[in-house]
Amino acid sequence: MSELVIAPLLVVLGTAVLTLALGRRPQLQRATSVAGVLGYVAAVAVAVWTFVLAPAAPGAATYQVGDWPAPFGITLVLDGLSAFMLTIAAAVGLASLLFAVRYVTPENQRVYYHPLFHLLLVGVTGAFLTGDLFNLFVWFEVMLIVSYVFVAFYGTDHATAASFRYLVLNLFGSALMLVAVGGLYATTGTLNMADMARRLATPAAYGVDPAPVVGLSALLLAVFALKAGLVPFQFWVPAAYTAAPPPITAMFAGVTKKVGMYAVVRLYFTVFGGVPVSVDLAGSLGASPLAFLAPVLAAMGIASILVGGFGAVGQDRLESVFAYSSVGQVGFIALPIAVAAAADPTGSLRGVAIAAALVFALHHALVKGLLFLSSAAVQDATGTDSLRDLGGVAGKAPVLSGAVFVALLSLIGLPPLTGFFGKFLAFDTAVRGLAVDLGVLSALALVALLLGAVLTILYATRVWVDGFWGPEAAAVETATVDPGQVAVLVALAAAVVLVGVGFDPLYRFAETAADAAIDSEAYVDVVGLDGGGGS
Amino acid sequence: MSVALAVAVGGLFAVGTFLLLRRDLVRVVFGLAVVSQATFVYLIAMGGVAEGARELVPVLDTHGGGVPEIADPVVQALVLTAIVISFGTTALALVLSYRAYEENETIDVTEWVR
Repeated sequence: MSELVIAPLLVVLGTAVLTLALGRRPQLQRATSVAGVLGYVAAVAVAVWTFVLAPAAPGAATYQVGDWPAPFGITLVLDGLSAFMLTIAAAVGLASLLFAVRYVTPENQRVYYHPLFHLLLVGVTGAFLTGDLFNLFVWFEVMLIVSYVFVAFYGTDHATAASFRYLVLNLFGSALMLVAVGGLYATTGTLNMADMARRLATPAAYGVDPAPVVGLSALLLAVFALKAGLVPFQFWVPAAYTAAPPPITAMFAGVTKKVGMYAVVRLYFTVFGGVPVSVDLAGSLGASPLAFLAPVLAAMGIASILVGGFGAVGQDRLESVFAYSSVGQVGFIALPIAVAAAADPTGSLRGVAIAAALVFALHHALVKGLLFLSSAAVQDATGTDSLRDLGGVAGKAPVLSGAVFVALLSLIGLPPLTGFFGKFLAFDTAVRGLAVDLGVLSALALVALLLGAVLTILYATRVWVDGFWGPEAAAVETATVDPGQVAVLVALAAAVVLVGVGFDPLYRFAETAADAAIDSEAYVDVVGLDGGGGS
Repeated sequence: MSVALAVAVGGLFAVGTFLLLRRDLVRVVFGLAVVSQATFVYLIAMGGVAEGARELVPVLDTHGGGVPEIADPVVQALVLTAIVISFGTTALALVLSYRAYEENETIDVTEWVR
């Protein structure tokens, strides 16, 4: 049974190898690639259903790689949080690949597109599943090496420059992460996250000095914020997002960004949440590193919302608008997490806030994936994605525009679409924070959320009015839209509507995920540190 | 010994950061390589460098007695993995810097149009 945990990883790894071997048979390669991603979705669905969602599910499961007992071997853990993130990855991955088969030219698909795509999924899946800190670093690297190649995929001056900058930043980030991992190992004597959580919760019993953990966790936060594209580490986002092939940009915005946020939640709440160390930072007093996380992440989130929002309003190209928009939207995920970090560990607010962040992450993955794919479809049909040259797409391609319309409304936050619940829950946590006296933090968060919402309405309206309404521009008159691409867009738009209408099961899934993130004792139990030995 | 290691790590980080901030593409790649080396030395130092004693090796000290007194194998495994990854990414960085030079027609990063 526990083999199911590693199944999604093996499916995409196998597909990556197969598609690499089938490079000379393009059609077979494409078929294998699509079959592989369908297999991935099936593996994720079965694993998530069996271990997390089924009525009698255990809630979490582990797979000890190579049968080495924890904490010595590498443990893969599928708990509620990992399951939620894997579901996002599977949904966006499926849409991205199906779209890419119709969008990327056959010549370009032959140039390693399919193996690289599956390796990207390998890196993402590994990062979501692993229960070992150093292994997390390795999966990050797998994901990033593929990302560098994808950003440079088209090999133009813009693409190579963007890729080089992205690479330099992330390699420096990786060096910082290694420093943090090494420091945590020297401090706690373990790399297994569950073992680390257990030792740090009762440091005296294991002879661990917990004080350095705060500083080392700050290093990790910087690395994860770089991956998530939070301000002040957002500057690589627009260049890299516009340079990569659009289906991959959908993956970057929908999935790899979320890996950064996932790592923040997993490490701060599950591993460092119980560290008894007093922190006094800018008025945020607390008894765990979470008191450090709260003000810092709140500041980053607020800055992201403002920079992303104002940046998106001023852009001319569809892709750039959405790239800046995703900088802002990550702020909407970061703020509830910051409120959760400031909340009372025993109260209900912490769980509610993390669930809000997760719901927003899912909403953003679906909607931003849909928007990036739509802008690619528009560009494919008209030859431009500049708002200046577009206009009247709604008359020429009503179905495509309908999908964009749904996505934009969801981005703004109209009920009953996913965005409404994402925004509603984010506001809800901020207001609840006010009620339980989180004071300045919640008030600032509320103001930033409001401003961000207004900015979202501004740029979403601008995209619709300039690009899709009005008389048909010259580029649009001769446009022919690919029906296969539109089918993928319609399916994604339908998912946005359906998830919004049938929101209750999803919210319960998000609550399960949030509980799994907070309950580090359950996490330690499920990993089962039988190889732990003496003190 | 630990002072020597601290100086080495600090020096390598300083040199690496200096190179990273150059305008010349190739020096930036060298800077990345040097920063990675600094983290490797740091990682090895984290396992304890003094000879023998068990309490200097986290994985031995905290996971049961009766273990022979040896150097910490965990950090060595980590460094080995990290070196391989760093080798791959440095190779990619060199190739990419050549392509970026071809496309942008200069190795001065500040003169790149975009």
